[in-house]
Amino acid sequence: MEGNIRLLLPVVAPVAAGIAVLLYSGFRRVRKPLLAVVLGILVLETILLGLALTGEGSLLLWQLTDVVALRFNVDGVSRLFAVLTVGVWLLAGVYSVAYMEHEQEEHQFFGFYLIVLGVLVGLDFSGNLITMYVFYELMTLTSLPLVLHERTKEAVAAGLKYLFYSVAGAFLALFGIFLLLQICGNQTFVPGGMLTAIPEGKAGLFLAAIFCILVGFGAKAGMFPLHGWLPAAHPVAPAPASAVLSGVITKSGVLAVLRVVYFVVGPELLRGTWVQQVWILLTLLTVFMGSMLAYKEPVLKKRLAYSTVSQVSYVLFGLSMLQPQAFVGALSHVVFHSLIKNALFLCAGAVIVMTGKTQVKDMKGLGRRMPVLLGCYTVVSLALVGIPPASGFISKWYLAAGALASGTGIWAWLGPVVLLVSALLTAGYLLPLTIEGFFPGADWDGEALERKAAAEDQKKQEPSAWMLVPILVLTAGALLFGCFPGTLIQMLETIGAGVL
Amino acid sequence: MREILLAAPVLLPVLGGAGMLVLHLKDGGEKNDRRLMFLTEGLVLLNSLVIFWLLRYRMGANLVLFRLFGNLTVRFGLDPMGGVFAGLIGFLWPLAVLYSFEYMKHEKRKQMFFAYYVMTYGVTAGIALAGNLVTMYLCYEMLTLVTFPLVLFPMTREAKRASRRYLYYSIGGAAFAFIGLVFVLSFSATGNTDFAPGGVLDLDAAEARRNLLLLVYVLAFFGFGVKAALFPLHGWLPRATVAPTPVTALLHAVAVVKSGAFAILRFTYFSYGTEFLRGSWAQWTVMAAALVTIVFGSTMAVREIHWKRRLAYSTVSNLSYILFGATVMSPLGLAAALSHLVIHAFMKICSFFCAGAVMHQTGKTQVYELDGLGKSMPVTFGCLAVASFSLMGIPLFGGFISKWNLVQAAFACEGSWLPCAGVAVILYSALMTGIYMLTVLVRACFPKREKQRTETEPERKYRDPGWMMLVPLLIFAALILFWGLHSSSLMRLLTEIGGEAG
Repeated sequence: MEGNIRLLLPVVAPVAAGIAVLLYSGFRRVRKPLLAVVLGILVLETILLGLALTGEGSLLLWQLTDVVALRFNVDGVSRLFAVLTVGVWLLAGVYSVAYMEHEQEEHQFFGFYLIVLGVLVGLDFSGNLITMYVFYELMTLTSLPLVLHERTKEAVAAGLKYLFYSVAGAFLALFGIFLLLQICGNQTFVPGGMLTAIPEGKAGLFLAAIFCILVGFGAKAGMFPLHGWLPAAHPVAPAPASAVLSGVITKSGVLAVLRVVYFVVGPELLRGTWVQQVWILLTLLTVFMGSMLAYKEPVLKKRLAYSTVSQVSYVLFGLSMLQPQAFVGALSHVVFHSLIKNALFLCAGAVIVMTGKTQVKDMKGLGRRMPVLLGCYTVVSLALVGIPPASGFISKWYLAAGALASGTGIWAWLGPVVLLVSALLTAGYLLPLTIEGFFPGADWDGEALERKAAAEDQKKQEPSAWMLVPILVLTAGALLFGCFPGTLIQMLETIGAGVL
Repeated sequence: MREILLAAPVLLPVLGGAGMLVLHLKDGGEKNDRRLMFLTEGLVLLNSLVIFWLLRYRMGANLVLFRLFGNLTVRFGLDPMGGVFAGLIGFLWPLAVLYSFEYMKHEKRKQMFFAYYVMTYGVTAGIALAGNLVTMYLCYEMLTLVTFPLVLFPMTREAKRASRRYLYYSIGGAAFAFIGLVFVLSFSATGNTDFAPGGVLDLDAAEARRNLLLLVYVLAFFGFGVKAALFPLHGWLPRATVAPTPVTALLHAVAVVKSGAFAILRFTYFSYGTEFLRGSWAQWTVMAAALVTIVFGSTMAVREIHWKRRLAYSTVSNLSYILFGATVMSPLGLAAALSHLVIHAFMKICSFFCAGAVMHQTGKTQVYELDGLGKSMPVTFGCLAVASFSLMGIPLFGGFISKWNLVQAAFACEGSWLPCAGVAVILYSALMTGIYMLTVLVRACFPKREKQRTETEPERKYRDPGWMMLVPLLIFAALILFWGLHSSSLMRLLTEIGGEAG
């Protein structure tokens, strides 16, 4: 092990703590110590991450074989994803304190919750393809228990679906990775790619392998055709888990694609090939299809899951343009969508806990009982639609501008059109809850419901602060990043300039 | 005859086992059981010690035990490749015997079981140490005969049928292998069948009858392939799971089936020589057969709901990984094949021992009966998790290393699209492995809630098995992790072997 040993801590600490939580039987009966430990670790993790990111950013972990080395290497992309992951994890963790109260076997949930955090930070820090693949597989396996947590028949089926799609995607990608390793060796990621030209005589195989990687890792990001698991798996998990699954774990698929395209193969090699064309087509198809399905979906959490399918493919679309502005748009959408989708899922979870309702049509008049919650929901919805000054506008602006300047022929204008249509659909599937919630209409008998609620002793109107504060923080983030995007955009532009 | 010790690992268990059969110690009763246990374990351990001593001090030794007639000799020799296989079984056998004692505790006719179990050790060692094709063929036939009673052991109608099928398949396969032996002998440059890296064929004479020799190679490949469960000659293996688990685990996942694969490696790299075969239609034929078997085995494993049979189908597919490596016919291919031969042994024996432990403790044999057992048998299922991840080929576990080597070898193989398709097939099979292994794990560790509630009470009484079963399991799981994290020294050795023979 040579290099910055501090990089190891934010990976090992949560994993070790998670395993301890799983194994130590003392946590199974009593709630408070468990929560104290979990929150303590989450706070500690932010400090450890800060410490790790200060020093020089490379660490040789382990020599797996003579040629295969596991290595951490921290660059701008790692920093972005790691900070985002840890931040969101902390907020969703705080939220879980209140949410998980009505679930069984909390120690199992929190144990795996911590382990996945460590694995994700490892994924963000990964310095070469093999290391990334190791953490990618570990992420699938360790996040499975989060999906399965409720253990209903539906949850177990969805969990297996998640597992099989992810594993299928990973092995599909592995085919390409094997070939890339054969060609460029297991080097540390190089901004802009390691190859100068497509290897002679193997062009067909090479491009097919890249395509396998795009589709394979695209499975985690919910890209058509391997998106099927996402609407099944995200809604059945407990709300904080669906939030991080949708908000952060889908982004690891994005990270993997980004690493391969911009740090191994190099964007220049793909420009204008059939791989780029098909990739763009798939992302746009996914953007449109996800929005349509979300529009038709009556169950709120499922609707949000379809929305994730669509929104993550905005990011992939931005990456597929191979253009600096679109790249900035894509990465900023990673951040914004993460904040927004987490807030949305946490809102949906809060509604389920407080009222037990899952269908959008049953949530009429919600604004009367929980104005703050629904207010937050409305703000982040508008941000996701892309209304200025909220954050979604910034990323979409960059995406559209980048697409127009990309010189990809028909896609240069078709892309922005699809994004626009999808934005309309986004408004169409998110805002009805706001409208019905705040303005239920004259024929809505709010009094009767309130009497019923009083009879059932549901005195509390808004969810507790444990739930509300994380939602408020996320909402504020989604709003403030839109108003003051300067620093973030500058950082992303630096990254973009390095790779393109 | 100075090197007479070289024959010891073969003769010692065979004579010892025969002695156990003849002597008829008293069966039954705790005291007799314990005596039998010390006797068997002692014999096996002694034999393993002899093997390891030979590996350490007598590498490269040679011994002509006796002469049949003319230039047909029974000859033992210790080269690095045989050493790898001998070392592997020398390590596994004592642990498997230990496991067997707890597993067979309540069975009758223990003495007969252990007698044949020990004899098999000697015969397998004979295959590993065989110095020429004649000796290997002899041991190969012997192996069928000494393992036949073990499949028959439960004496049920199913077992009788399975053992009969095993017998017919194996003897039929050996007949084809015999044709190969005859041709190697008559076209040999040295006039005998002694194994030599790079083959012994007289290339000038062979070129003249090229197609005939290639046809014979394919026939012999399928002949030896019977033991390696090559499609469509795999039928005996899933049925043979009626045998007690120690037999299924050690013999039908390692010793017997790997003898088949090992024989193919010997035959390809040390008798025919890859130079003669490389790029020929014979190579692509046998490679295609291996790939078909991989797809078939892993797909059938997903469909199978009997746990041990599922694992047997997994063995079918994984053995063809080894054969795929062999058919790449390059130094890398041989090294990759050997690495999978070694690492798969640990993963599969570990999986079977887990299945056996569950059968022994709960009597459950079907996958759908395993709901919630993970909680009552955590150590067993922990080991199963390690074995499953490794079989899938997740990095940090052993299976990834051998898969990695196979893929490297395949990509380096020129001349056809088949090796590239092989990589795709391996990854398809990895996905199927994920499905058939992880559904078991998910069932056991994350059962559906409704089920758990109704069946909570009866589940409670199950526990992890005793130390005699747990110790081998834990050792195997630890080794899988060890190979996953540190395979450099093993790979250096195997690459050296590959470099000589490829």
